[in-house]
Amino acid sequence: MKITAGLDIGSTTTKAVLFDGERALASIVMPNAALPSDSARLVFDAALLAAGLDKGQVDAVATTGYGRRLAGFGDLVITEIKACALGAVHTGCPGGPIHTLLDLGGQDTKVIAIGDLGEVEDFAMNDKCAAGTGRFLEMLARKLEMDLPAFIEAALRSTVQIHMNSTCAVFAESEVVSLLARNVAKDDIAAAAHQAIADRIGSMVRRVGQREVIAFVGGGALNRALARTVEESLNKKVHIPDSPQTIVALGAAIAAFRKEEKLGL
Amino acid sequence: MKPSGQNPYRLPPAQADNPGNRKKQQFLEDEQFRRLAETPGRPAAMAFFEERLRRAAAVPPAKPRLGLLCNLVPVELILAAGGEAVRLDCGNSASVMAGEEILSGDVCPLAKATLGQFLRPDSAASACDALIVPATCDAKRKLAELLADYKPVFILSLPADKDPDRHAAAVAAELRRLAAFIAGVTGRAATRASLRAAMALTGRRSDLLRRIQAVRWEKPRALTARDLFACVQSSLLSPEPLDTWLEAAERLLVEVEAYTPERRSLRPRLLLTGAPMVWPNFKVLNLLEECGADVVADTLCTGVESCLEPAVTDETSFDALLRALASRSIFGAICPCFTTQTTRINRVLDLREQAKADGVINYSLRLCQPFDLESYRLERVLKDRRFPVMNLRTDYSLEDTEQLRVRLEAFLETL
Repeated sequence: MKITAGLDIGSTTTKAVLFDGERALASIVMPNAALPSDSARLVFDAALLAAGLDKGQVDAVATTGYGRRLAGFGDLVITEIKACALGAVHTGCPGGPIHTLLDLGGQDTKVIAIGDLGEVEDFAMNDKCAAGTGRFLEMLARKLEMDLPAFIEAALRSTVQIHMNSTCAVFAESEVVSLLARNVAKDDIAAAAHQAIADRIGSMVRRVGQREVIAFVGGGALNRALARTVEESLNKKVHIPDSPQTIVALGAAIAAFRKEEKLGL
Repeated sequence: MKPSGQNPYRLPPAQADNPGNRKKQQFLEDEQFRRLAETPGRPAAMAFFEERLRRAAAVPPAKPRLGLLCNLVPVELILAAGGEAVRLDCGNSASVMAGEEILSGDVCPLAKATLGQFLRPDSAASACDALIVPATCDAKRKLAELLADYKPVFILSLPADKDPDRHAAAVAAELRRLAAFIAGVTGRAATRASLRAAMALTGRRSDLLRRIQAVRWEKPRALTARDLFACVQSSLLSPEPLDTWLEAAERLLVEVEAYTPERRSLRPRLLLTGAPMVWPNFKVLNLLEECGADVVADTLCTGVESCLEPAVTDETSFDALLRALASRSIFGAICPCFTTQTTRINRVLDLREQAKADGVINYSLRLCQPFDLESYRLERVLKDRRFPVMNLRTDYSLEDTEQLRVRLEAFLETL
C-alpha cells in the first residue's frame, strides 16, 4: 500500500494530509512559522505523529500553496488551484458532481470552474491585495476589538442591514471608524463586512460561470456567517465538506498518489 | 515649422532627479540583465543587443536627435532627413516614482516612467532635440502637452477609426507636416531617394525578425522571448544607427538557425497580446518563461510585432512612399486607441494558426484603460473558438509576482 502526503503552505496556515489512495489518514492545520520551510517540516511531523507513521513509510510528498517551492523538501509541486479541484472532486458532494468551487483563504479568494471529468476548466483569483479575503475579516474583527469567533457570532446576530463600500483592508478600517462614530451597532458592521466579501465572491463566480453543485472550501468555509451570506449572494445552497481547510492539502496528496501509481493527473 | 502644443502657461522645471532614484533605476536594469544571463546556451550575438540597451541612455547625439513615443511614428521619416530616432517609452518602475512627482498615482505607469526620463539630465530623452508624440491614448496626449515644456513637440494627429477610404488623404497630409517639422530640426529635408533608402533599412529589420521568428516557431528554445524582446527593443530604444544592429541580427539569425534541440519541446506555446512591455519591465515575460512556457508570438507594440511589417509600395513618388508608411504605421496599427479592435483580434487569430499556439495571454497594464476595455470581447471571441485565454492585469511593480505565478502555473496546467 502506498502512502502519500500533501502539504499546503498557505499565507496564514500550513496544512498536511496523509493519504492512502482511499482516504485521509491524518489532516493537520497549523498556524504559520516565520519560514515556510519550518512550517512545512512541523506540520509534516505532526501529521506523521497523528497517523502513527514514520517518515520512511511515506512514498511521495507534494507541496502546494504560496510556499510550494519554499518547503525545502517534496517530490512534486502543483498549484493550489489544481490541488483544490482534485481534493474537492475526491471528497465529492451528496448532491452530485461539483462544478463550481469557491476557496477563501487568508490572502486570496479563488473560484474554480470544474468540468465534467473533474478537470479545471477556468478559474478566477483576486488581485494582489487582501481585498475580499480572510485577512480582511481578521483585520476588521480586531478593529471592533473582537476575536474572530465573536466577530462571526456578532454578524449572525445582526438584524439591521447596512452597507459597507470597501473590501480594501486598509480603507475599510477608516470606514469602520466612521460607522462606529455614527453609533452603528458592532453586530451590523460585522454583518456588512461579511456581505462585502460575499458580494465580491458572487461577482467572481458569475465571471467564471455559476454551475451547480457549488462547493465552498478553505478556512473561510468554517465561517458560518460567511457561508450564509455567500449563499444569499449566489441565491443557491453551497456544499461545505467536513474539513474544508485541508481540501487543498488532500488534493496535493492525491496528486502525489496518482503520480506514484502512474495514473496520470 | 512651429511645433504644436507650445504652452502659454509654461511650468518651472521639475526636480525629481536624485541619486537614490537613479540607483534604483540602475538596479532594476541590472537585475533584468542578470535574469537574461541565466538562460543556458544563449546565442553569443545577444551580447551586442545587451550592450546596445545598456548604453542607450549614454550615447551622445551624433546627429540631430528626435525622440518619439508609441509605435505609430514612421521612423523612416527621421532617418531619411538625417536625424537619429529613439523611442522614449520607458518600462522602469523607479522612473515611475520620479514621474509621480508630477502625475498622480492613477495615471498609467508607462506615461509616468516616460516622463520620469525627462526629469534626469543624463537620459536619452533629455538629449533629444525634439519629440514626436502621436495623439493615441489620453495619457500620451496629455503627456505631449507636459513634454512641450521640455522640448519642441510635434503632436501627430490621428483619425479615430482606421478606415483608409475616409482618412488616407488626411493622414498623408499629417505625415507631410511631420516631414516638414523633422526637416526643421535636422536642417535637411527627406527626399524620395533618402526615404526609399530608410525604408529599405527598416525593411531589412522586418525581414530578419520574420526569419528569426520562423525559426522560433520550429524550435522555440533557439531564442527565448525575453532575448528576442531585448533584441527588438535594442533597435527601438537606442539612438544608434540601425546598420550595426542589422549586422548583429544577421549573426543572431545564423546562430538560431544552427541551434539543434536535444529533443522535441513539450512546453506549452503561448501567444502574448495586450499592452506594451518595455525594457526593463520584462516581469511577465520572466514569469511566463520561468513557469515553463514558450512565448512563440506576440502582438505587442514593443515586441516583434512592432517591427514585423515592412512599408512596401511599387510606386516611387514621395506621396506614394508616405502612403505606404501610413498604411503600415497607422492603418495597420493594433493600438487600442482606435475605435475598433478588429485588427488585433484578426492578428491574434492568424498568429494562433501560424505559430501553433496552445493558449493566449492577454496582458493588461493596470491603469491603461484602452487595453482593458478590449479584454472582454477578445476573451469572448477566443473562448467561443475553444481557445484557452487568460487575462493578466498588473503594473510595473514586482510585489504581485507570486500571485501572478500561481495564476500562470494553474493556466498552464489546464492547457
